[in-house]
This record gives sequence, C-alpha cells and structure tokens, in this order.
Amino acid sequence: MHDRELNSEKITMDDEGNVASSINEELYFRRVSALEMGGKDAIARQHANGRLTVRERFSKLTDKESFREVGTLGGTGEYDENNKLVRVTPAPYVAGMARINGRPAAIGGEDFTVRGGTTFGAARRKGGQGGFIEDLAHFYKIPLVNLIDGAGGTVTSAKRRGYVAFPGVHGFERSVQLLGEVPVASAVLGTAAGGPAGRAILSHFSVMVRGTSQIFAAGPPVVKRSLGRVISKEELGGAAVAVDKAGTIHNAVDTEEEALGQICRFLSFMPQNVWELPPVISCDDPVDRCEVALRDIIPEKRTLPYSMHDLIDLVVDKGSVFEIQPTHGKSVITSLARLDGRPVGIIANNPKFYSGAMDSTSARKQIRFMELCDTFHIPLVFLVDVPGFMVGLKAEQEATLREGMRAVYVAGQLTVPTITLVIRKCYGMAGMATCNKNDIDLKLSWPTGEWGSLPVEGGVAAAFRRDIESAEDPKAREQELEAELRSYASPFRTAEAFAVEEIIDPSETRPILCEFIALAEGRLRANLGPKGKAGVSP
Amino acid sequence: MTITNVMSEVIGSVWKVDMKVGDAVKTGDTIMILESMKMEIPVEAPVDGTLAELKVKPEESVDEDQVLCTIES
Repeated sequence: MHDRELNSEKITMDDEGNVASSINEELYFRRVSALEMGGKDAIARQHANGRLTVRERFSKLTDKESFREVGTLGGTGEYDENNKLVRVTPAPYVAGMARINGRPAAIGGEDFTVRGGTTFGAARRKGGQGGFIEDLAHFYKIPLVNLIDGAGGTVTSAKRRGYVAFPGVHGFERSVQLLGEVPVASAVLGTAAGGPAGRAILSHFSVMVRGTSQIFAAGPPVVKRSLGRVISKEELGGAAVAVDKAGTIHNAVDTEEEALGQICRFLSFMPQNVWELPPVISCDDPVDRCEVALRDIIPEKRTLPYSMHDLIDLVVDKGSVFEIQPTHGKSVITSLARLDGRPVGIIANNPKFYSGAMDSTSARKQIRFMELCDTFHIPLVFLVDVPGFMVGLKAEQEATLREGMRAVYVAGQLTVPTITLVIRKCYGMAGMATCNKNDIDLKLSWPTGEWGSLPVEGGVAAAFRRDIESAEDPKAREQELEAELRSYASPFRTAEAFAVEEIIDPSETRPILCEFIALAEGRLRANLGPKGKAGVSP
Repeated sequence: MTITNVMSEVIGSVWKVDMKVGDAVKTGDTIMILESMKMEIPVEAPVDGTLAELKVKPEESVDEDQVLCTIES
C-alpha cells in the first residue's frame, strides 16, 4: 500500500494502483488517471527533452497548494463489454485557478504527454479558443496564464466529426476581449503552431525557452510542402528568430523555471484587471536618494554613447527593473520598474544602438509598451535621447516613417500620466513620440538636453546649401553657421520661454520622478476601466 | 579551439581599428570603433582569445550582422 497526493487529499492505493476507498471509488480512480497524465513513458520522454510536465509547471508557477483544478475528469473513457470503466486517458489540457504572488489567476496549459497536447474535442473546451479558462478570466476579472505546449488541431478531428470546422467557429473572440480587460501572460514551452501559437501572440507578455521551444505560423513539414525548403524547427521558430529578430515573442530565457519566474514577475506589476490600480508595494529604497554619479554619466563628447541601462538602474527602486523585449528593437529600452514601490513604465532610447534612433522595430516595440501601460494604468516615464527616425534605404524599405508616425499617433492618445525627461537629444517626429505635450504632462530636461526639428549638423547643410557652396571656404562657413545655431539650442533658452517645465540637476532625478508618480495616483484612479479605441491607426 | 565571429549590430562605417591580428583580447575589450548615426559605436570582444582575422578596414561600410573580425579561443 502507498499514498498518493491528490490536490490536498491523500488517498491510499494497493500495489496494483487500485484505490482502497470504497466511497467514491470511481471518482478517485478518475482523479488518479488525470494525475498520471500520458503515463510513465510519455512523462520520461518529456523530461528527456528538457521539459517539465504541465502539472510540474503549475506547481512551480503557483503559490503552494493553491491550484484548484477544473475539468479534472475531462478525457476519454474506455469501457468493457459490460460498460464498466477500464481506463481513462485524460484530456491533453489542464486548467484551473490558483494564486500567484498571493493573487488569484486562471491558468491553463496543454499536456504534451497526452497526444502531444493536440486540441481536445469535448462538449466544451477546457481552454484555448473560446474555452472555460478564458471565460473564467473574463467573468471573474482575473489574469490569465497560458502555458503553451501544443500544435493545435489535427486532421484526425475532421475524421471524428465527419466535417471540417469553419475557421473562427472556435475563434479568438474571448482572447481578443481579454486583452482590454485582464493581464494575459503566455509561456511557450514546446513547439507551438496553429491556435496555441496564435494565443501566445494574443497576450500582453510572452516568453519562451532558448533551445527547447519554437513558435511559427506553420512548421517545417508545411514549409517543405509549400516552398520545397528544408529547415529545422529551431532554425524556423527558435528564440533567435521569434524573439531576437522578429519580436513575435517578447522575452527568451534558458530554462522553464526562468520562464515561469518571468510570468510571476510580469504579473507583479499588473493590476488584476483594468478596473483596478496596479499594486503598490513597500519600498526600502529612499525616495530622496540623490545620485551624484548621474551628473557625469553623459560623456562631454556628443558622439560618445553611454549606458542607458546604468542610468535607469540609478534612478528607479533598486532591483525593480523588468525589461521587456531586451533583445529586439534595441534602440529603445522598454522596462517595467517601480518608483517608491509604484509601478511605472520606462521608455528610454539607447544611444548604443543607432544613437537611439527610432527604426521600424523599435517603433513597434514602443507602441506595444505604451499601449500595455495605458491599458493597465501604469504611468510612463520617457528618458529621451533620440536623434530622430532611423535614416537610409533599409529604414525606408522597412516603413520606418509609417511605424514611427504610428508611435506618434499612439503617444498622442495616451491617457495615463507621462513624464518626459530629456537626457540628451530630442529631435523631430521621433521626439514627438516621447511625450503627450498637449496635456498637463511634464516635460523636464537635464542641462545636457538639446532639441529641435532636426540636429544642427544635418540641418545646416540642407538649409544653407547655397550660402555654404558660395563661400570661399565652404567647410569653415558650415562650421560657423553650426556654431551660431547651436547657441540658440541651449535648453535654458527654451526654459526661459517656459516651453519646457523645468531643467533639473541630474542627481535629483529620482526624488522628482517619485514625487510626480505618487501625485499621479489620483489621476489614475479617476480614469479606471477599459480604454476606448478611436480612429484609424496610420 | 573555437572561432567566434564578431558581428556588427548596426549599419555604418568603420572609423578606426584599435587592434591587429594576433593581439590577445579579453571580453569587453574594444577591437574597433564604428560610426553610425553620427555616434561612435565601440565593437567589444564577446569572448577572451586572440584576434584571428580582421575582415574590414577603416572607412569601409558595414551592414547589420556583417562579420567584422574573428576571435580564436
């Protein structure tokens, strides 16, 4: 005899695995079958591939003993000639509610050990397109976590049904609705294609594991059939493509434990739903911490870059930074962080990549992050060092102008409070995407700030072409004109005109930002609820 | 022995090369400086080793993901 733990109940079984309890024997038998998933061999194969089972993932993700399963008995029963139950193959999807960091969430995930996690055709779906778990998140207004490890439907379902389903009958309507209601986080923990891949995209945050997970619209067999090209699944949809290059998935990590840890971390910044404020935590880092090191962080030579990551770390609560998409669109940094325990979204240009210029990938990254923070009432802090839109043939081919103007459009519709702090450059239309300047939102600058329609260097040659060409020494004339115009570019002249609200000592950055973010709470509280959508995005 | 390709993360041009083939490099050492969007972009060694090959010269244009040099370690 030995004990098995079922949720929090212990049951006793004999050596053949028969449940000793005489009461509810069938219930226990079915529950044990569910816990056994696809069987020992399938579980061993899952582990040999460097992956956890869906139930191991749940236990690592959720607070101890908080998982309350729903649909435990869903599956396929086998009956003998007397209609007596012989065995049950559980459904390839496990779902329920649990607590994460003490707060309730709906969680669901494919069980790859059962039929490779393929879609389970029951009277009602447990999860996936239009499933119970999405409904649970919607009606109870709690976050949804998808642990994705399946490739969606199979052609065998058509054989079982006797007809093929029309696309959208089990559609993404609820998943789409959830994006405006509750936080949705997804981890891709196997090979995802079809519906599960779509669900990973219909998330506010997604993460995958380098080497053991892949995601694509269609896998290698379809590519071979359609295009005659042979490619491995890792080459086609590993993290190097899906995260670093395409930005299809936000973050990549090395282990499943880290992926689950990132989901917990992401949710720790989020309110439970759009009708609530994001959670404020107690903060040991002094609000009035002034960092003298910030005064020297910008090199005197304007052509030298510096570490914007170091700058952010010096300003926000120590250890609070959670960067989203760190390996994609690297000319802008998008991080969730805290100021005096209050969640903020940091959008900072990175001078180490294209001088912080906005290209099509960084524009898309900034747009998504602005929309995320606006939806969940997280104030935005822009740390600006942007010379403008990226230039050149490649940039034009990638529609930098259109993507950049979409960033301006989305910035113009933000309703969360924003603080714009110019660190060095703030030029042109890319500069306009860093503030909501028609509102009460603050525009601050360090003394190193400079701004305008375009940088003096590029602008002089274009605007004074004839003057320069007709000069005896054109180079000297160009430099003379640049020097003259640069004298007007002092940030203090703009401050005289009250066209920026304040120029601050860099060392005072943290106290000032903390003060205004605390002040923002009343404004955030007055604007709770779903955000409307207006107009046609360019 | 491993050969590591050091790639350019930006489009731009080579401004100056600080090292020569055969030099010992440590992770984080600046091998060369590129110029892109009017900024000096240092190219740092991703691993310890010896500079095995320089594939670009000063003033040459470089593309994203172009191999600039190789390190043997």
